[in-house]
Amino acid sequence: MCATEGGLPTLDFSGSGVGLGSLAMEDDAAEAAEQIPADVTPESPEAVSARFERDAMQYLDQLYGAAMRMTRNPADAEDLVQETYMKAFAAFASFTEGTNLKAWLFRILTNTYINAYRKKQRQPYQTGTDDLSDWQLHEAESHTSRGLRSAEVEALDRLADTDVVEALAAMPEDFRMAVYYADVEGFSYKQIAEIMDTPVGTVMSRLHRGRKLLRASLEEYAIERGLIPATVGGEGGDRS
Amino acid sequence: MSCGNPHEQDCSEVLALVYGFLDGEIDDEMRRSIAQHLDECGPCLQQYGLESAVKALVHRSCSCEIAPEHLRVQIVTRIRQISITYVAGEQ
Repeated sequence: MCATEGGLPTLDFSGSGVGLGSLAMEDDAAEAAEQIPADVTPESPEAVSARFERDAMQYLDQLYGAAMRMTRNPADAEDLVQETYMKAFAAFASFTEGTNLKAWLFRILTNTYINAYRKKQRQPYQTGTDDLSDWQLHEAESHTSRGLRSAEVEALDRLADTDVVEALAAMPEDFRMAVYYADVEGFSYKQIAEIMDTPVGTVMSRLHRGRKLLRASLEEYAIERGLIPATVGGEGGDRS
Repeated sequence: MSCGNPHEQDCSEVLALVYGFLDGEIDDEMRRSIAQHLDECGPCLQQYGLESAVKALVHRSCSCEIAPEHLRVQIVTRIRQISITYVAGEQ
């Protein structure tokens, strides 16, 4: 029963208070497309479309990944991403080059999701890949070189991606997406605040609570999988 | 959580900032101060290690999502159709 092409309810950004720098979208993305500033020579539609393909399509996988975390199933994720791109394209003529296109697209994704999909969520969907990405922690990582590999950290490292995805999927949406934006997309707190249309303090609190929740849940998975004994799991390993 | 030894910066202060530290959201001076504390304080370092492991785990598990090719084709097709329709409508 997923929405088919063109069959989604009308989406609008009313009340969204989009605040990505100079990119504030007025009311509705479709309207925004009409509002080409008078002092700018309008691009031809073909030029806009070519620029859009060149600049915006590169984020398809990332938007799809976030959409998967939001909707938790591939069919809805596809619809959501497609709708996001259509709205972004409609507003793209008024998009100022040089501002953060990726964050702008994620903001539209979030709005589209909130307006159209949140109410019809399905069951958690499991996915994941085995690929290890070549991600480096911040330079501060060297401070762990003193050999901190507690049993717990090692156990968490051995968890399957599907377990982590499942643990994330079970979390409240605001926590889940804050953690996703910070840990997967590497957005700054300020960017996450703009994407989620919330104060930076709220982002920090969502991250804080989300990560605590996620860690507790991952520890349970690790215990269930026999990666750590039940007595070792939990905060600092001292939970009886 | 504390190792019981005196530090220039209190353990609770460090632990409160551990996420900001991990996310690169604190200034250089504070970063240096926390890094020094982590060098001196085993329990704080453990906590940091655990938090950084979870962050890395989320990144590892979620960042390899590939959108289906038919989705890309669909989107690009629709975009091109829209701009063609727009041009046709203007002429």
